[in-house]
Amino acid sequence: MEVYFYLRLLSKTGENKRMKNSSKFQWLSSVIFLYLVNQAHGQKRGVPHDLKCITHNLKVWDCSWEASSRINHGTTYEICIVNSSYPCIQTEKTHFEIPALSLAEHEIKISSMHVSGNSVTKFILNERSVSLVPATLQIFNLTADFSTSTLYIKWNDNGSVLPRHSNVTWEIVVLYKEDMEVATIATLNTTLIGKDSLHHWSWTSDIPLECTLHYVKIRYYIDELHFSGQKEWSEWSPLRNISGPPIKENYEVFPQDKVVPVGSNMTFCCVVEEPVLTAQFGSERCSLIRLDNKSVAIEINNITVSPSSGTNVVFTTKSNMYGTVVFAGYPPDIPRKLNCETRDLKEITCSWNPGRPTGLVGPRDTNYILYERFSGRNVTYNRDEEHMNENHQLIFQMIAGQEIYNFTLKASNPVGRSEAVILVDVTRKVYPHTPSKLIVSDIDPTAIILHWHLSGNFANITLLCEIEINTAYSGQELRNITVKGLETSSYRVSVDRLMPYTMYTFRIRCSSENFWKWSKWSNEKQYLTMEGVPSKGPDIWREWSADGKSVIIYWKPLSINEANGKILSYDISYWSEEGKQHLKIPDPQHRAKIQLDRNDCIISVVARNSAGSSPPSKITSMEIPNGENLKVEQIVGIGSGMLFHWNYDPNMTCDYVIKWCNSTRSEPCLIDWKKFPANSTGALIEYDNFRSGTRYNFFLYGCKNQKYQLLRSVVGYTEELAPSVAPNFTVEDTSADSILVKWEDIPVEDLRGFLRGYLFYFEKGEKGTSKIQGLESGRSDVKVKNITDITQKTLRIVDLQGKTGYHLLLQAYTDGGIGPGKAMYVVTKENSEGLIIAILIPVAVAVFVGVVTSILCYRKREWIKETFYPDIPNPENSKALQFHKSICEGSSTLKTLEMNPCTPNNVEVVETRSAAPKIEEDTEIKSPVADGPEEGSDAEPENHVVVSYCPPIIEEEIASAGGEEAGGSSQVIYIDIQSMYQPQAKPEEELEKDSVGGAGYKPQMHLPVTSTVENMIAADGLEKAAGYRPQTHVTAWNLDSPDSPRSIDSNSETVSFGSPCSVNSRQFLIPPKDDESPKSSNGGWSFTHFFQNKPND
Amino acid sequence: MLACLCTVLWHLPAVPALNRTGDPGPGPSIQKTYDLTRYLEHQLRSLAGTYLNYLGPPFNEPDFNPPRLSAEALPSATVDFNVWRSLNDHLRLAQNYQAYSHLLCYLRGLDRHAATAELRRSLAHFCTSLQGLLGSIAGVMAALGYPLPPQGAEPSWAPRPPHSDFLQKMDDFWLLKELQTWLWRSAKDFNRLKKKMQPSAAAVTLRLEAAASDL
Repeated sequence: MEVYFYLRLLSKTGENKRMKNSSKFQWLSSVIFLYLVNQAHGQKRGVPHDLKCITHNLKVWDCSWEASSRINHGTTYEICIVNSSYPCIQTEKTHFEIPALSLAEHEIKISSMHVSGNSVTKFILNERSVSLVPATLQIFNLTADFSTSTLYIKWNDNGSVLPRHSNVTWEIVVLYKEDMEVATIATLNTTLIGKDSLHHWSWTSDIPLECTLHYVKIRYYIDELHFSGQKEWSEWSPLRNISGPPIKENYEVFPQDKVVPVGSNMTFCCVVEEPVLTAQFGSERCSLIRLDNKSVAIEINNITVSPSSGTNVVFTTKSNMYGTVVFAGYPPDIPRKLNCETRDLKEITCSWNPGRPTGLVGPRDTNYILYERFSGRNVTYNRDEEHMNENHQLIFQMIAGQEIYNFTLKASNPVGRSEAVILVDVTRKVYPHTPSKLIVSDIDPTAIILHWHLSGNFANITLLCEIEINTAYSGQELRNITVKGLETSSYRVSVDRLMPYTMYTFRIRCSSENFWKWSKWSNEKQYLTMEGVPSKGPDIWREWSADGKSVIIYWKPLSINEANGKILSYDISYWSEEGKQHLKIPDPQHRAKIQLDRNDCIISVVARNSAGSSPPSKITSMEIPNGENLKVEQIVGIGSGMLFHWNYDPNMTCDYVIKWCNSTRSEPCLIDWKKFPANSTGALIEYDNFRSGTRYNFFLYGCKNQKYQLLRSVVGYTEELAPSVAPNFTVEDTSADSILVKWEDIPVEDLRGFLRGYLFYFEKGEKGTSKIQGLESGRSDVKVKNITDITQKTLRIVDLQGKTGYHLLLQAYTDGGIGPGKAMYVVTKENSEGLIIAILIPVAVAVFVGVVTSILCYRKREWIKETFYPDIPNPENSKALQFHKSICEGSSTLKTLEMNPCTPNNVEVVETRSAAPKIEEDTEIKSPVADGPEEGSDAEPENHVVVSYCPPIIEEEIASAGGEEAGGSSQVIYIDIQSMYQPQAKPEEELEKDSVGGAGYKPQMHLPVTSTVENMIAADGLEKAAGYRPQTHVTAWNLDSPDSPRSIDSNSETVSFGSPCSVNSRQFLIPPKDDESPKSSNGGWSFTHFFQNKPND
Repeated sequence: MLACLCTVLWHLPAVPALNRTGDPGPGPSIQKTYDLTRYLEHQLRSLAGTYLNYLGPPFNEPDFNPPRLSAEALPSATVDFNVWRSLNDHLRLAQNYQAYSHLLCYLRGLDRHAATAELRRSLAHFCTSLQGLLGSIAGVMAALGYPLPPQGAEPSWAPRPPHSDFLQKMDDFWLLKELQTWLWRSAKDFNRLKKKMQPSAAAVTLRLEAAASDL
C-alpha cells in the first residue's frame, strides 16, 4: 500500500514566528498535516508514518519516522530513494541519514520487513520539508575579570561545516543569583566564513561578579538564504558558570579599592555567612538589597568626589565589620597652557596647568607622559609629592639636529585620559638662563668690554642682549646688541660712548634673536671708567683788590662731565714785569692772588688731571673804563631769581658777565658770576643761596676784545621783606603845641628791602594807655603821617595841646611790608598864657556881673525895697484899733507891729517862671537833668531837691575860690546860677514839691565839705576819665535833704553831696592840684578844659 | 668627739648617695621619660584627630569600635591587671621598649602612604618624638642595669605587604589606638617606677642629713 503525501499541496499553511518568513510557517503546517495523516494510516495499518527530516549543516538530512511498537520490534527497513542512484539502506532503526537531495521532490520508499508480513510505505520528500536546526554549541571559554566585573565568553561557530556566508544570529543569556534571574540577554549577528572561527563577547556586570554566581548559555540561528526548508534555533548550550574569585583575595566586600568616575552608579556587596545588619557609605546609611542567602548589596547612585583617602563602605554584622574603599574622581582635564621652551638649547621644558583637580591622589593621581611624535620618544612625569601644587613640567632632552618638535602630553588616571598637543620650533622658544659672571675691562676712557657667562649651546642662533647702563649723572640707558651664539657660554661685547671717569652700573639680559622671553637680569656690576683729559677750561673771573696792587683770579670747578677725571691742580700763567709767571694751585682751592700792580695782562688758567690738561681759559686783568658815571639801579627779583635785560650791543664780541655779591660783605665783592653769550640781551640769574630780604649788588660786564667793561650796576633783592628793626628816633624839641622828632637811618641789612617811607603815628593819651600798638587803619583818634621822602629825617608835629601826653610811633616800610615801630611817650609843655586867661576871664566876668548887679540893684532899689524890704508900719502909728482904715492907702504914717531887727534869711521862692538859659550858652554844658528830666524826676524825685539846692549869692567868694586852689580849701564855694537865673522848668517844679514837703530853702553857707571832694574825684576819676561826665550817678547821693544831720556828717557815701558843682552840669568846678595826673585831667573839667574847649588836635 | 668624727669620715665613702654625687641615678631619666610619655600622649591626641579625619567616616566617628581582626600583628597594650602587677621592672621596661620599637616601625609605614603632605609632616614629627621615647626607655634600662631586648624579633613584626585600602585603614586605626593605650600604660609604668625609686633616694638623703647633723 502506498501512501502519498503531497506535502507540496499542503505547504500553503504554515508559519514560523521566529524567522519571520512566511514560507516557514507553511512548512510547519505541512509537517503537522503529514504527521497527522501518517499517524492515522500507520496506526491503522502498522506501517512507518510521520517521516520527519532535519539537517544540521544542509549537507546531510537526518530523517526519522514513527512506527507502531507492535510491529517495530524485529522489523527491518529498507529505504530506497526512487529514481535515484543512491543505494537503498537496510536498517533496523527508524531513522536514516541521506545526503541532501536536490530541490526536486523525491519519492522515499520504506519497506518494512517483519515476520508478520511486509509492507511498503512511500513518502514524497523535498527540501522544503526539511528543517535546518544548527547543532548545539559548547561554550569554548568563559572567564571573568573580577576587577572590572566583566565576563568574557568565547565559542566556535563551526563555520567549516556550515554554508559559507550564512548569517548567524547568536543569543547569549547571563543569569545570576541562585534562582537564576536573567541578568542580561544579548543578541549578536555574524557571518560564517567557511571555516571554524572563535567568537567572543564580553559583558560588564553592574554588580561585582564576586557578589553572586553568574551563568551563561548561548544558542544560535542560521539564516541560510539558499535553503528553502524550515530554519530553527539551535538548542541552548549547556550552562556555564564563572569560577569564584581567586583564593588569595578572599575579601568579603566587593568591589575592592575601586576607582570610578564621579557620578557613577555603583553596587557594593558583602558576601558573608552571618547576616549583615547595616551598611554605610561614607557617613551615610544605606538600605540593604539581598542577593542570595549570604550576599547583600547596596546601591549608590551618582557618586560624588571622594576625600583623599577614599570613601569607606562598611558592612556590619553582629560580630564583625567588613569594608572597602571606593575612590570617585574626575578624569584628567585637558592640560592647559601647555608650553614648551628651552633655556639652553639642550633640553626642552614643557610646562602645563593640570586644570580641574581630579580628586584622586597618591597612586590614583594623574600620570603624564610627554610624547614626541617625530622622534617617537617620550618622557614620563615623575611626581614630586613635595611640590604637587606647583606648575607641572617635564624635561625633554633635545635631539641633535632636530628643531621642530611635535609634543603630545598624555594625561591619564584610572577613570580617564586626555591629551594636549603642541608643535614647537625650539629656536623660537629660547628663554635663556640668567647671565652670570659679569666682568668689565677697559678699552679707553669712553669704552669698555663687558664679559659674561651664559650657559647653553646657542651655536645655531643669534642672541639678542640688552645692556642696562646706569650712572648717577645721566640716569639709565638701555642698549640692545646682537651676539652670535656660542657653544662655550662665554660672551664679550664692547660698550662705547661712555663718559670718562664715571661710575657705571652694568647689567645684562639676553634672549634669542627670534624674541621669545628675556632672561632675568644678571647681577649688577659697577665700574669706573678711565680718566680723560678735561674737556674745557674752567670758568674764570678776576677781581682787583681794594688797593689795586693785586688781582684775585677765581675759577669755578669743572663739572663731572667736563673734568673727566679727578682734577689734581690748576695751572695759572700770566705775564708780569718779570716775564711769564706760572702758578700751580692744588684742586680744592679755586682762587689765586696775583701781584700785578695795575698792570694789564692776560691770565690763563688750565685744569689738570692725571690724563692731561684742559684747554686754557683766559681773561685780561684790566677793565675797560666805563665812559659815564653809572647810576645804581634798583631791581627786585622774580620768584627764585633776578631777571636782567640789556640792549643788544654789536661791540660786545665775547660774552656778558653778571657778577653779584652781598652788599653787606666787605670787598672784594664777589659771590658768584655767570657768563652769557655775546648775542644775549637778557639773563635770569638763579642762585640757590639767594635769600629773601638780602641786598645784592649786581654788575653787568660786557666783553669787548677779551676785555670787560662794566655796563650796569644794580642793587636788588630777590624778594623784599619788611624792615626787621624799627627806626631809632628821638624827640628833639617839645613845646606846648608841637614836638620835633628826629630819626636815624636803618642799617641796610635790617632794612631788607628798598625803603619806601616812614609812618609816624601819634595819639593823645596817658602814659601806658597807648593804642597805637596794634594799630588799625581808620582810627580817628590816632593820627598818622606818611613820610614818603626817605631823605627826611625830622618831623615837627604841631597843633598839639599843651601839657598833654602824646604817644608817638615811627615805622619804616618797604615794598615787602611795614617794619616794627618804635614808640615813645611825650608830654607837651604847659600853656602859661591859657592859664592866665583862664584866671582873668572869670574874674572879669565876676566883676562885670557884680557891677551890673550893683547898677541894677541901685536902679531898682525902690522895687527891691518894696519887694524884699517893704516898709513895715510902725505899730505906734498903727491904727490897729482903726482897722477900718484902708491899709492900702499906703500911708507911711501907718505903722505896723515893729519887728526889727528881722533878717530875711528864709526866702521862699514861690515861682521862677521866667526862663533864662543863658548860662548854657557859656558853658556848652548840658545838665543831665535838662537832657532827661523825666528820667531823673521819675526815678528819684527827691534827688533834685538836693541837686537844685545851691546857695543864692556870694559872687565875691567865687573869685576867691578861683584864686586860691580851691581843691585844697575847706571852704567850698558855690555858684548858684539857678538861683540867679531862671532854671529849667522841671527841676523847678520838683523843687516846689519839696518845698511843699517842708524841706524849704536853706542856705549852706557853712557846710563842712572838706577833702571829701578830692576823694570823690579820685573815686570817680578813672572810670569817668573820658572828658565830661555828668553826675548822673545819683544813687550815690544822699537822699536826705542836704541839711540833714547825716549829709552834713559827710561820710564817704555822701561826698558827692558836698562837691562843688555847677547846678546845670553838676560839674566840679575846682581843678585838681596835679594837672598832669590822669585823675585830675579826666575827673572833671579843669580850667584848661574850660578855656581850651577846642577839638583835640 | 674626734673619734666619732673620724668614724663618720671613714664611713663616708660608703654612703651610697654621696657616691652618686656625680651620677644622679635613674630618677631624673625616669622622670624625663614619664614627662615625654605624657607629652606624646598629648601629641597623639592631636595627630589622631587629624589622621582619623583623613581616614574618613566611620573611622572618625566617636563610637567607632571595629573588631581587632586585621591588626593582630600590632603589639597589644591590653594586659590582665594581675599579670601586669606581677611583672618586674625589667619585664615592664622590656615590654615597653619592644612595643614602641614595633609601633614605630608601623608608624613609619603609615607615613609612607598618607596622601597629604601636612599629615606626613605631623607623622614624621611624631615618629621623631617616639624615637626619643624609645631612646629614653633604653636610657632608663641602661641606668638600671637591664639589658635591652633582642632586636632579632623585629622582622616578624614587620608591616604586612600592602593589602586592601580598607584593611589598611583598619590597621591605621588600630595602630593609633594601640599607641594611645601603650602611652597610657607607659605613663602608668613610669609613674610606678618613679615612685619606687623615690623612697630609696629619700632615705639616703635622710641618712645623709642625719650624718651631717652629727658633724
